[in-house]
Amino acid sequence: MNKKITLALAGNPNCGKTTIFNNLTGARQKVGNWPGVTVEKKEGKLKFKDYDLTIVDLPGTYSLTPFSIEEITARDFVINERPDMVVNIIDASNLERSLFLAIQILELGRPVIFVLNMADVAEAKGIQINEKKLSQLMGLPVVFTIGNKNKGMDHLIETAIDEIKRFNKGKESRPIRYSHTIETCISSVENQLVESGVNMEGLSRWNAIKILEDDKVIKAKLQSMSSSSEEKIFQAARECRKRIQDLFEDDFEMVLTDDRYGVIAGIVKETVTNLASKRIDMSRNIDLVLTDRLFGIPVFIFFIWVMFQLTFSLGAYPMGWIESAVSFLSLNLEKNLPPSMLKDLLINGVTAGIGSVIVFLPNILILFFCIALFEDTGYMARAAFLMDRVMHTAGLHGKSFIPMLMGFGCNVPAIMATRTLESKKDRILTILMTPFMSCSARLPVYIVLAGSFFSDKAGTVIFGLYFSGIIIAILSGRLLRSVLFKGEEAPFIMELPPYRIPMFKSLMIHMWDRGKMFLKKMGGVILVGSIIIWVLSNFPKQISYSEDYDTKIRSVKSEYAEKISSAGTQEVGSLTLQLSLILTEINHKQEQERIAKSYIGRMGKALEPFFLPIGIGWQPSVALVSGFVAKEVVVSTLGVLYGVGNQGGEALEKALKKSGMTALSALSIMVFVLLYVPCFATVITIYREASAIWAGFNLIYTTMVAWSMSFLVYRAGMMLGSG
Amino acid sequence: MIDTHEHEKKQFKRLFQQQGIDRFDSRLLVLEAFLKLEHHVTINDLVAQLEEDKAHLEKGFVLSSMELLYKFGFATKIEFEDKETQYEHRHLGLHHDHMVCTKCGMILEFKDEALEKQQLIVAEAYGFHMLQHKMEIYGICSNCLKDRSPLVPLHKAKKGEKLIVKELEAGKNMQLRISSMGLKIGDLIEIVSTGFGGQVVIANGDNRMVLGKGMAEKVMVQLFNQSVEQDRDIEGNKDFGEPPQETLLLSRMKSGQEGIVRKVAGEGVLRRRLLEMGINRGTAIYVEKYAPLKDPIEIVVKGYHMSLRVEEAANILVEKIGFKNRKNE
Repeated sequence: MNKKITLALAGNPNCGKTTIFNNLTGARQKVGNWPGVTVEKKEGKLKFKDYDLTIVDLPGTYSLTPFSIEEITARDFVINERPDMVVNIIDASNLERSLFLAIQILELGRPVIFVLNMADVAEAKGIQINEKKLSQLMGLPVVFTIGNKNKGMDHLIETAIDEIKRFNKGKESRPIRYSHTIETCISSVENQLVESGVNMEGLSRWNAIKILEDDKVIKAKLQSMSSSSEEKIFQAARECRKRIQDLFEDDFEMVLTDDRYGVIAGIVKETVTNLASKRIDMSRNIDLVLTDRLFGIPVFIFFIWVMFQLTFSLGAYPMGWIESAVSFLSLNLEKNLPPSMLKDLLINGVTAGIGSVIVFLPNILILFFCIALFEDTGYMARAAFLMDRVMHTAGLHGKSFIPMLMGFGCNVPAIMATRTLESKKDRILTILMTPFMSCSARLPVYIVLAGSFFSDKAGTVIFGLYFSGIIIAILSGRLLRSVLFKGEEAPFIMELPPYRIPMFKSLMIHMWDRGKMFLKKMGGVILVGSIIIWVLSNFPKQISYSEDYDTKIRSVKSEYAEKISSAGTQEVGSLTLQLSLILTEINHKQEQERIAKSYIGRMGKALEPFFLPIGIGWQPSVALVSGFVAKEVVVSTLGVLYGVGNQGGEALEKALKKSGMTALSALSIMVFVLLYVPCFATVITIYREASAIWAGFNLIYTTMVAWSMSFLVYRAGMMLGSG
Repeated sequence: MIDTHEHEKKQFKRLFQQQGIDRFDSRLLVLEAFLKLEHHVTINDLVAQLEEDKAHLEKGFVLSSMELLYKFGFATKIEFEDKETQYEHRHLGLHHDHMVCTKCGMILEFKDEALEKQQLIVAEAYGFHMLQHKMEIYGICSNCLKDRSPLVPLHKAKKGEKLIVKELEAGKNMQLRISSMGLKIGDLIEIVSTGFGGQVVIANGDNRMVLGKGMAEKVMVQLFNQSVEQDRDIEGNKDFGEPPQETLLLSRMKSGQEGIVRKVAGEGVLRRRLLEMGINRGTAIYVEKYAPLKDPIEIVVKGYHMSLRVEEAANILVEKIGFKNRKNE
């Protein structure tokens, strides 16, 4: 029977913790610059000799304050779940700062070992750490590793297991002692805690420190646990805080922080040597170009352009293959299945629906690969650095730039990319603003409408639409921030990690992780959505047509059958052609009426009063409603409704003009398309990444904005007489 | 003076006993030590004095005693942003203002009747009933002014010296030429090398310049000393009041400068974040560069790079500012 052990991995962001986790467990993880990417605890398993290890990757944090969900998650896990060992992963080139978290981890009372990771980078920088001395001073084992070369993993596990054995045999952790005044305070509160009899599970010192630091979470917990004794404890803490304030003219947390850094400085002095002569700072040299005053932004724009080029041109090939595969499938189904409702559902509902989404998979994968490349090399942080000023004017963070940029391609991965944002407020705000970045699916609509009504100015009009989208996003951002998201912005402070050559394996893992998420979660939803739309557009089956089309078709066919049989060989060709044209026209008319009278058509007509004030007739209304499934569908629905089938193109343009639609009305439609509800998949993504409430809010908000803007445009146009 | 002291002591005994203040005898010792010292004293000064008097009283106790004395009007308290709080005898009825030399720390007491009257007049004009006031003037005392280094022409400076350009003793044309090279009054320069017929090679920030003898003779410079005041444009920040001039807010530092963090202000989350990223009192901080849009700033702290917004950097007060000499880094 194997012995079971739980290990928790803790450390700063960027210390290579996730790489080590991957090495140990073989599971998939995200390596990112920003805390909050691993906000969910990730677990993995490892068999080592006769041990069954469960390894938990805690969120990367710089400290253990109660101010962020990551920190609270990390410390709660250690205190409540009591893992057998906490493995503190430390970036060997950042020992001094890393020790700030390390000291706090030690205070949590579990056995700890230090892992000095990225030892090769430290060595290249000329940093020498005397790990034996460090081990002696801290009273715990210290090991070196090189995570991205998979070196030192076995040694890590062995050391951890040995240390656990020592603790089982009675070793106790050695607390770090601070200055006299601080220690007096800690003792006085600790005494009160012990006296009160509240069960501290051996963590009386840590709890005393937290209470002195005015830690809201711990204080609340204490209040709920004890009956009346907490007042004495809080009183003792209050008195101490006042004393410290008087003596040092600063509050307890700050004085303790100073103390901690003092202890750390002492440790670092004794254990770290800097061989200045060996210092090479490759990252700094690279940054001389990449964040240069003049070249930084142009280079960034270039990289982004490359990213989009790769996504759309490289992605076009696999896209083509998938499209062919989907149509191949459709054709086969068409040929081989007996006609039935199920068949129609399968072909026009399921296959068409899923097909329209799957076809984007290559694009999405390439896009995610590029994003993973940016993140793993460390360039993402520079991008945020360059763009922060711009984003700040919209009330956002530099980190929001990439998700919003991705929104120009497709909103779904863009919203998923907001995971990299730390603050929840920023995340939700970015999610709400991204849909205003006109996604690529809306482009066909612009092309058709602008092409029909604005001909040579079409390009300018489309550019104007994109630009307006951005402006409205920015204004929305500021409005929402001041109304709904009041309060402090999260600090921008962000580490600029040294550039690293990413492991190809980990890039692939990240790309596939996100792609998989897209497929799994969206696939299911799109499938359901497509079926619903299919149902809505195909029922009711019994439609009372204005004409008896069937009879008409039969009569036309027989009419022409006669003509053809009595015609000469030359005329047969043209007659057959004529016949097919007439039949097509009749079919189109029939289809047009059928759609109009289907449920979805009825919905459109019912919404007519809603759309009339903004100059949109019932056909575009229905098309807009169908756009909820996917924006590309708008064009095909328009085609059907204007009687030219679902092809689009010139025929549609002609039909639109003939229908009496005006340029102004077309503009109003385009503005509406720009701003209104994003597609179903996006809404579901918002639901998953934010919450149902925000998804609902987004639905309503975007529609309101769209309607108001369309209204403004249409009415302004009418007044200016261009009606 | 002696009469006043006895009077103070009597009042002290009466009040403190009346109020039932604890450890009366020890507190009396504090008062006596306080009265012995004629000038403005800090808690540390008092503790030292008490040690001399063979009385070992701990700092916290002395502090609470002084606070009591302050409360009862035996002492006035002067709180400075950058120094320890000082206490001063308050012989009721005698008021004076202070001038503080930011270089040597000397405090000058003064009382100007016209000033006192003017303050009342101003208060009245605003319909304000003045109860009391406190005024402090910061500057350089006459001793320190004398010590200020004189100006020398550039060509007389030595290799390796760090200097500030103070004046340009030249006609308009020459001034134009000098400024077109990128050199102006207030620039901090370092002498890279001299010689070659009077030519001077200087480093102005990141730029290297060569000045001919004629030009160098006309540029008047002054030794850049940590303790000499700089003609820097310092932005007063509400957290710091008037910072003494060898310190700057991080947001005002230029790229290539480094210094030591003196104080970290800011509210709640921001301050915590700054501290846990390693920006605390006493840490060396180096400004690597500003982003192309002038915001945010990239800095190096404890050996690693990070970025923060200018508005966040305005919470960090940095002292001992100089230009870092980065050769092969």
